[in-house]
Amino acid sequence: MRVTALKVGATALTLATTVLSALYVTSHLKNPAAPLQPTVLRSGTTTLAGGTLTLGPSVQPSDVQPVTSTYAS
Amino acid sequence: MRRSQHLAAHHFEALGTTCSLFVVGQDRLLEGEAWTRRMGARLTRFSTDSELSGFNASAGRWFDISPDLEALLRESMHAFASSGGLVNVAVLPSMIGIGYTQPLLRGRPAATLTEMHPLPALPDVLEIKPGAARLEVGAGIDLGGIAKGWMADRLRESLGPNALANLGGDLSAGGVGPDGAGWPVGLAGVTVLLRHQGAATSSTRRRRWGGGEHHHLIDPRTGLPAQTGLEEVSVVATNGVEAEVVAKTALVLGPDLAPVFCAARALAWWLSP
Repeated sequence: MRVTALKVGATALTLATTVLSALYVTSHLKNPAAPLQPTVLRSGTTTLAGGTLTLGPSVQPSDVQPVTSTYAS
Repeated sequence: MRRSQHLAAHHFEALGTTCSLFVVGQDRLLEGEAWTRRMGARLTRFSTDSELSGFNASAGRWFDISPDLEALLRESMHAFASSGGLVNVAVLPSMIGIGYTQPLLRGRPAATLTEMHPLPALPDVLEIKPGAARLEVGAGIDLGGIAKGWMADRLRESLGPNALANLGGDLSAGGVGPDGAGWPVGLAGVTVLLRHQGAATSSTRRRRWGGGEHHHLIDPRTGLPAQTGLEEVSVVATNGVEAEVVAKTALVLGPDLAPVFCAARALAWWLSP
């Protein structure tokens, strides 16, 4: 009798744990469409007048006025 | 967003070109100009009094050199190795052969194109030991853009943690710039933000003579002005001298191989045929 009660109790505990875990997981879904953190910077090749410009992820374009430029001298 | 700090700028003519220094938060710009002029006087090949001319004239024997020239020669050896021999400072005989014997500000050269040969491998003609170096007889050194890139890096370090040095297009940027987002620098007509990076441009469009037929950028494989299908390359790299080496190598490689080389060595690049 005591053995049966232990078996029933263990089974009930297992089932309860499984159900509660399933409920917790379904109520805490991660959004697969969430943006990556940190943001992946823009990079790629752009064709401009006279040539092609390629920016790697560590060089960001900007709209501000440059203080100086690289040029042939 | 950080608030803009005081940006000090200083422009002057040296090294046969226009130089610009920028510093945020402190002002050591005049010291930077003085250092640039001193180094330019020591490293020019156009003055017989310079340390470099003395070294070139000493071919065949060991010559005592300053720590700065030693550092530059070692950097040149590294550039030769990392460019597969396409950046070779043993270019002086070719420069003389194409008539580039004086600063272009003093007038256009007359090209002779006599005795033009592929350049010797730099390690075959240059030996360096602490405090001294030796050139093979017949060899000659023109440090060219490597000197400007190396000097820009040294200047940027000496000016302070948030500074930019631009020596005729070879530039080195340290720190986060005046607004904290990076130093805004023009590259191929667009603005990019540089942080602890360098940039350089190699071009065959300027310094031309002989009816536009000759220019100063030598292809070490022929000893003649490079004709590779690319006329201008600008590069952003980890520092100024690296940018100079990558830009020159890419230009000499030409349009087929330059994108692959730049993808391996550069952080951003402009290729213009």
